[in-house]
Amino acid sequence: MPEAIEIQLKKGVLGLCVLALLSRGNSYAYEIASKLSHAVDMGEGTIYPLMRRMQNEGLVGTYLEESPSGPPRKYYRLTDTGRASLAAQLAEWRSFTAAVEGLIGHVDAVPADAEPEQGAETRDDA
Amino acid sequence: MTRDEFLKRLRRGLEGMSPEAIADAIGDYEAHFDAAREEGRSEAEVAEALGDPGRLARELRLEAGIKRWEEARSPSSATNAVIAFLGLGAIDILVLLPILLPVIGVTIGLYAALLALFIAGGVMLVTGPFSGVAIGPAVGFAFGGLGMMSAAVAFGALLSIVAIWLVNGLLWFGRLHYRVIEPAIKSDRSTQ
Repeated sequence: MPEAIEIQLKKGVLGLCVLALLSRGNSYAYEIASKLSHAVDMGEGTIYPLMRRMQNEGLVGTYLEESPSGPPRKYYRLTDTGRASLAAQLAEWRSFTAAVEGLIGHVDAVPADAEPEQGAETRDDA
Repeated sequence: MTRDEFLKRLRRGLEGMSPEAIADAIGDYEAHFDAAREEGRSEAEVAEALGDPGRLARELRLEAGIKRWEEARSPSSATNAVIAFLGLGAIDILVLLPILLPVIGVTIGLYAALLALFIAGGVMLVTGPFSGVAIGPAVGFAFGGLGMMSAAVAFGALLSIVAIWLVNGLLWFGRLHYRVIEPAIKSDRSTQ
């Protein structure tokens, strides 16, 4: 189930992305959703269960702020717990990507025509 | 799908939750439609980008169940959360069902047995002195009752630790099934 793995992978990182966005400034859900859905392939509606979960876990807090047009908006801000979690997740992410990069980094160096040749050989063998 | 239809389907999916929680969730999505309209997006476009309201409702429901469970670890909040967990209806949750239901049944059965032991111990403690036999055996009988009561309490505490651990594990497993990342456009194809 490669698709399921991809979903889990992106989902694991989504919380980190929201924390990082909020560390740059408080925001409301629509803004977070549109920024994330452009960057990561995701349904906009799914931001709400995620925000609720992060609120339950005390990572983010909410407050109401007047909007230039229409009713007041619910803004999200990072809590101290959220900030600590962001730092921890960031360190984890950096060391993880560095490790993966160390493993796959050399792939670029492989000549582009090396692989088709191998493929041709195996076809000859068969 | 229009805004009204989306909200109606979401509301239907949230039925049974507390009125405040429903109002909160509906308010979130109403605000989303409002903000999108300001950008000139059509209702149909926004509803499509939001994803399946029924699926969103199931995830919001589990999240609300988890919150209640974490606020108060009671049998009713546990039941509530487990029902929300089963409501996710993911295939591997259904596969788990034949194992899960007996475990839940055994847990409830053990609680009932411990309650019976506690009551029996209490009856022995109270009736012991009046059992009409010599003073020695009567005291022994009473202490035996006390022993049964404390054993029931001790095992009950142990069982509660296991039960809380079990519910936490289920909810953790449930959260793994949030389809947070699923692009809404594909949701019709890949859910169910």
